[in-house]
Formats: sequence, C-alpha cells, structure tokens
Amino acid sequence: YFQAPAYHLILEGILILWIIRLLFSKTYKLQERSDLTPKEKEELIEEWQPEPLVPPVPKDHPALNYNIVSGPPTHIITVNGKECINFASFNFLGLLDNEKVKSAAQASLKKYGVGTCGPRGFYGTFDVHLELEERLAKFMRTEEAIIYSYGFATIASAIPAYSKRGDIVFVDEAACFAIQKGLQASRSNIKLFKHNDMADLERLLKEQETEDQKNPRKARVTRRFIVVEGLYMNTGDVCPLPELIKLKYKYKVRIFLEESLSFGVLGERGRGITEHFGINIDDIDLISANMENSLASIGGFCCGRSFIIDHQRLSGQGYCFSASLPPLLAAAAIEALNIMEDNPDIFQTLRAKCERMHKALQGISGLKVVGESFSPALHLQLEESCGSREDDVKLLKRVVDYCMNSGIALTQARYLEKEEKCLPPPSIRVVITVEQTEQELDKATSLLKEAARSLLN
Amino acid sequence: VHNGGLYKRPFNEAFEETPMLVAVLTYVGYGVLTLFGYLRDFMRQWKIEKCQNATEREEQKDFVPLYQDFENFYTRNLYMRIRDSWNRPICSVPGAKVDMMERVSHDYNWTFKYTGRVIKDIINMGSYNYLGFAQNAGTCQEAAAKVLSQYGAGVCSTRQEMGNLDKHEELEKLVARFLGVESAMAYGMGFATNSMNIQQELKGVICLAVKHNLLNIFLSPLLIQGCLILSDELNHASLVLGARLSGATIRIFKHNNMQSLEKLLKDAIVHGQPRTRRPWKKILILVEGVYSMEGSIVRLPEVIALKKKYKSYLYLDEAHSIGALGPSGRGVVEYFGLNPEDVDVMMGTFTKSFGAAGGYIGGKKELIDYLRTYSHSAVYATSLSPPVVEQIITSMKCIMGEDGTTVGKTRVQQLAENTRYFRRRLKEMGFIIYGNEDSPVVPLMLYMPAKIGAFGREMLKRNIGVVVVGFPATPIIESRARFCLSAAHTKEMLDMV
Repeated sequence: YFQAPAYHLILEGILILWIIRLLFSKTYKLQERSDLTPKEKEELIEEWQPEPLVPPVPKDHPALNYNIVSGPPTHIITVNGKECINFASFNFLGLLDNEKVKSAAQASLKKYGVGTCGPRGFYGTFDVHLELEERLAKFMRTEEAIIYSYGFATIASAIPAYSKRGDIVFVDEAACFAIQKGLQASRSNIKLFKHNDMADLERLLKEQETEDQKNPRKARVTRRFIVVEGLYMNTGDVCPLPELIKLKYKYKVRIFLEESLSFGVLGERGRGITEHFGINIDDIDLISANMENSLASIGGFCCGRSFIIDHQRLSGQGYCFSASLPPLLAAAAIEALNIMEDNPDIFQTLRAKCERMHKALQGISGLKVVGESFSPALHLQLEESCGSREDDVKLLKRVVDYCMNSGIALTQARYLEKEEKCLPPPSIRVVITVEQTEQELDKATSLLKEAARSLLN
Repeated sequence: VHNGGLYKRPFNEAFEETPMLVAVLTYVGYGVLTLFGYLRDFMRQWKIEKCQNATEREEQKDFVPLYQDFENFYTRNLYMRIRDSWNRPICSVPGAKVDMMERVSHDYNWTFKYTGRVIKDIINMGSYNYLGFAQNAGTCQEAAAKVLSQYGAGVCSTRQEMGNLDKHEELEKLVARFLGVESAMAYGMGFATNSMNIQQELKGVICLAVKHNLLNIFLSPLLIQGCLILSDELNHASLVLGARLSGATIRIFKHNNMQSLEKLLKDAIVHGQPRTRRPWKKILILVEGVYSMEGSIVRLPEVIALKKKYKSYLYLDEAHSIGALGPSGRGVVEYFGLNPEDVDVMMGTFTKSFGAAGGYIGGKKELIDYLRTYSHSAVYATSLSPPVVEQIITSMKCIMGEDGTTVGKTRVQQLAENTRYFRRRLKEMGFIIYGNEDSPVVPLMLYMPAKIGAFGREMLKRNIGVVVVGFPATPIIESRARFCLSAAHTKEMLDMV
C-alpha cells in the first residue's frame, strides 16, 4: 500500500490531524442560553401581561344582534314578533314544511332516536345512511355517493382529501367561503381566475403548461384541479360548464363542481348544472352539494365515480372523525328526494317564478339585480355606493327594515369581511321559492320599489 | 403526584408499560405484514393477482394520477384485511343493545354483500352513549317529535341571516346555566365548532382538521401570529396542523405532565418569541377533559393553578367528559370541584352524552359576542336542526333535574358505578387497561396487529360489538380495543362482556 499516490496519503494525514483536533477542542453550544438569574426570570414572569383573549365587539355591530325567528322558518315566518312572507331562507322547493317529509322523519325518530352517538367507523353507520347514499347516487346517475353530517364541512373536507401541498388548484374568484377554507386546509397552490372568465383561466393554464415543460418530472406528479360552483352563491350566475370540459381535456385538469345552490334547481329533473347543459356526468370528477337548500335537511354529500369517492371514506376529515348524520335528517332527505323524483314539474314552476321576479325587479331605481334570470337566489346591490362599506350596509339595513315592517322578510347577505378573498359588495339577498304566489311576488317587488324610492334618493 | 393538596379526591391513573416480549412480537407482526404487502403489490403489478381496486376512466388515463401508490399501501394491504371491523351498519337505536345488519365478503373484504339478515341484540360497547340518552322512547323523544312536527327538520339558513330560531336562544341560555358560565353559543357540528372558531380568534387560517377540528375552529378566532399554543401530546395532530396554519406557534408538552407544562410556560415568558425575542401576545393551553384514546383525565387543578400563575388562557375540550364525569354530570370541572369561570373557553359536543348532534362553546360574554359576530359557522353555516335542539334541551334539563324527576342523577351515578365495576373486573381478569379509574372510556391493550381483527370478530360472534383501533390513530405498537361504558348498561351485560 505504499504504492498509493502521494496526494492520497497527504489527504489522509490531514484528515487524521483534523480529527485529533476536533476531539481535543472544547465543545461549545450552538445557542447561547440566556444567563438570567432565577430572580430575573421571576420578574419577567410578573411583568408580562397578555392581550385580552378576544378584542371587544362594539355593541351596535350589525352582525351581533340576530333576528329571532319564532316558530318554523317556512313560507310565513314570524321574525322579531312580526309575521312576514319569507324571502330569505333557501327553501327553494318548499320542502321544509312538507307533511310527507315530516312524517318520514317522525317514523325515523321513533325507530332510532335522535343522535347517532358515534362516527361512521364506530357503529354510527345506519341503514338510512346507506340508503340515502344509494338513492343520491342513483338520482345523480353516478356510481357512488358519500354523506357528510354538515354542509359547510362537505366541500371543505373533500378538497384537502385529494389536493395536497404542491398541487395546483385553479379556482374562481367568487367561490364561496367553504371552498376557500377547504383550499386553505389543503395547502396547495391556489390560482384565482376572474369570475366566469374562460380566457383568463386558459391563460393561467397555458402559463402552467410552460412551467411544466421546464420541469417535466415534477409536472408528472403535480395534480391539477379546477374548482367551480354550479350556481354561485355570491353572484347568482352559472359557470360555463361546456367550455370548462373542453379545457379539462385539453390541459388535463380535473374538475370539482360545487352544486349547493344548483342541486334541485337547475336541469329538467333537478339534477343540477350537468343536466342543465346536457353534459355527461362522468366528465365531472367530483360533485359536492349540501342538502340544506333544496332538500330542506341538514348535511351534505359528494357524488362521483367509486374510484374517487371511496378515497374520502378514509381520508375525508369531516367523514371519518365526526359523528354521522342524525337518522331523522337522513330520512327527511330520502323523502324529499322521493318528492323531487315524483314531481318533476316543480322545477319548471320554480324557474317560471324566478324569471318573473327577475324581470319585475329590473325597474327599481337605486338597486340593481345581480344574478341569472333562472337563479332562485338573487342579490340586490346598490347602484351607487355611498362611499364606505359601512354606510352601504347601514343603508341596505334600512331598506330591509322597511320591508320587514310591511310584511316581507329579507336579509342582507352576510360575509366575514376580513377573511374573504374577494369580498362581494354589500347586497340584499332575495330568495324565490316554489311556495310564493304571484301576488306575494308582486307585493315584494312593489315594497322594494317604495323602499328604494323613499330611502335611496 | 406533587401538588397533591389541590386534589380533593384520589387521582388514580395507570399506564402499564408494555411487556418487552409483546412489543417485539408486535414489531415482527407488522414486519411480516409489510413484506406480504410488497409481495402482493408485486404480484398485482405483474398481473399474477387480479387487481380489485376501482380504477381511473379510460379517457383520463393520461391525466396525472390522483393517488400515489405509496399513500395507499397501508390501505390496500393492511386495512383491507380487517376492514370488516369498522363501518358496521346498524339498524336500530344505538343504545345498550343494538341490531346489526349482517354482511359477508366473498373476496376478502374488497366488497361486502348484505345478506338481509339482522343480528339482533348485540351489546353495544362502541357507541358514545354515556348517559344512555340514545333512546327511541321517553320524554326526550316525545319532545323532539313535537318540535319536529311544528318546526320541520331543516332550517335552510345561517345563524346570522334567517336561521336564528327562538329554540336556539333557549338552548344557549340553558347551556350557559348548565355549565355555570356567563354565556354560550351552539353550533351544528362539533367538528365545525372547533375549526371555525379557533380561526376567528386567531384571525388566521381555518384549521379544518379531524375530530379535534373542533379545537381548530374554535381556536382560529382566538389566535394570531404572535400567539403561543401549548398543547398536550395526545391532542389530535389536526389541531397542530390547524394551529400552524393560523400562524401561531405550537409547542407540545408531555401528556398530563405538569412539570413539562410549567417548564414550557416559564421558557415562553422569559425568552419570548423564538427569533425576535418579543413577548408573546397570548398563551393558550389546550387540554381535553377525557382523552378518548387513552382514557385518562386531565389534571385540571394543577393546570388551573399554573394558568393563574403564568397569566395564560385555558381551552378545555370536553367532548367526552361533559355529562359523563362529575356528581351531577357537569363535566371535568365539577369532577374536581373547581370553578367553571377559571376556564376561559369551554368547548364540548352534544353528540356523546346528550344523544344529539352539534357542539357548543361557553365562556365570558365578550368571548361569545365576538364569536357570534365573527365565527365562520354563524355567518356561513346552517344552524342546528330544531328537533335536535329539543333533544338537547330535554336531556340537559333531565340531567340537571329540572324536569322534576331524578332520572338524570340516577343515570350519572349508574355510569360511575358501571365504570368502576367494569374496570375492576377487567383488572382482576388480568388485562392491561389504560387510564384513570373514573373515566368511562376503557382502552384494553391488544398490541399485535393480528389480534385487532381477531378480537373484533370473536366478540361479534359472541354478540358483543366493540371498537378496535390501531395505527394511525394510536402509536404503532399500542393498538387497543376501546370500550365506551354507558349508563344504560346493566350489570348482567357487563358481566357477559
């Protein structure tokens, strides 16, 4: 081994010297712990004052004093002691008060009691849950459906189950708060595109494509999703689904569709926006909706192919670790589905009423209507803002109070101002249901006209 | 136990060490399973074995794959073998005895078929039915039925818009009175309760996490960057995730170890934030009343003493302990005889002891006002369903004794007796039981992966339904079976178990 090259021996010699030096040098700590005496520590502890747990809320904050509804929130509603016609609850098909739904829930209450006392994994799965999942899957013509016990948690648990850190999600600006929370929890890259602007979305997709070509290995494992709503809650219009499908296949992106408002409203038989546009439902990867609007129950569901839905049974946060839906609510939802399947003409009636109301509301000076003509949840925004959001909110409140005093119950659309990504302007929410008669629609319109004339000029 | 003077009653907790032989065998068991897993994956890839997973659509085969193979390794190979222990469908009230739908699998648990027969009268040791309020007859059910016919099943609106019924106001006043706090707020889902509120208080990101999502939601309003959360080791990981998302710093102290907590508190106040050395804005201590996986009870008197000494805030999650502990069912605060006003945020769920659904937060009026204005659920989520609210009101009144009978008190006492009896008998039989003697959650250690499935199936053959948990909910060698005792269990049922 003396034939080894000279540099090799020299290198080894240096290394051995270095090791000897390290062994004998003094060790030192990387972080200097402070040398405070115990007495100084005590003083610091004494002096420290924390902030109050929550900042105080001013007494006249508009969101602090809720309207109290006595009695059921159905077509005729008693708000703060006054009887009004309900234009504020999302009871589109009028199923909240339906006798058949109530008796189905009663029967279930007699059989199962109220609560389920457990999550789905631990004796919380009832046959009504399984039945409801089958019925929903059959109704929507998909392979499988999964039920959540809370509407807000549905999309907010579904998105993080598939999209993780490093994945890319393209989402519309006007997406509702539950979607925003799901996106935050998923920790993915969020790219917002302008509301319903397909050109903007295509631009973002093209940019992503050029990025991918620079790093093809990473691109092969980065999942991509588009999240849109069928009928947007914040703006009342629909997403252009056919163009989205084209973009999907061109750029290989998966689509998640949130149909809380459009389920039970759009389409020939209420199947939502896919039926409205005549699109094959297998083209959409995941449809999520909550049962709290048209189905007049509580909870939410996701439906799609088994390949996709089955994954949520183990990794959907709101599914695995929360108590399951109370069986009486599941039975109410099944009965509501029965009614929807047996009477397909209520969807036509609802659409006709929406069109009528939309047209009638056009002529109000000072307020503009935001939303499609067939959307049952419209927004009335001020044509000219007063200057600040607070003043706008106060002005709209006066309009709402005027209407409530004369027998029409309306509400302002509520948002968490500091937390929304793209805060919509303040507005009054007008909800059209199948139970409202033509006279009531006319009365509402004329009251709004009067209120606008007297308060907004 | 130092600070023993704070306790008015004996605090007996035991966590036996796992015997060395058992630990080794468990690791070996998992090793064998993993090897088999790789082998079968290999066979599947080479098409020797048929792949029974659902697969992607033909048109979408060239999309980026939705799931990565490695993520599903555990699901495919270990979980599938014992999948029949979970998600067992039942078709009756989840009371002390339950009827279960029978299912068989011809292809090793990949798919299930329902035979249509019903297995009747299985003793239910798995549902969280502590006080036995999951009944389909009796005052609670009748009241709920009346409200259902009057109000309907759903609400169709959020709290701040048109969904605030008079029933909700009644419920909140009642909850505040029950807990002994100034004011309370109720939410539709425990899960949602946590994530959304924590966000508010944190002014940060929502923490949508698992069961302890509750905590996340609650904490979010409370925490901002510059806040410190000290959380118990066994609080769910989702909490940690959630808190991190909110921008606050989170530090973990050893489970129920007060010295560890005190050291963390001292260090935090003295040294301030990690790099800037600025003082922390708030410190929040996060504990649970009863830890569901361990069966231990938090050392509340010591925690409150520490909290007062170091001026921090306490968040108590009573999901399992409300209604189950304490001489009149008011939870862990009453169990120790402490003042509920010392706890800043008391959070709990209605699913477990009250036989309903939803959650609540109780605390000072400023806190609740803040939550009413800024909480996510209040603004965006539907409020509680009226019959559910009525069930909570009736059951709570029953526990408090306000409905004129002593049914509530007897139930609470029955639960305590059942707990002590069951634990004593199991110890006599030689099983390793974790946790405090008074906690109604009894984990029985199983350790080996093969035993998990076998235990579940054998008990079912004897008409007893139990819950078995393994990795990832528990540490890998400590899988267990968990019994949830209930006031509805009679002595005979417990003897049979």
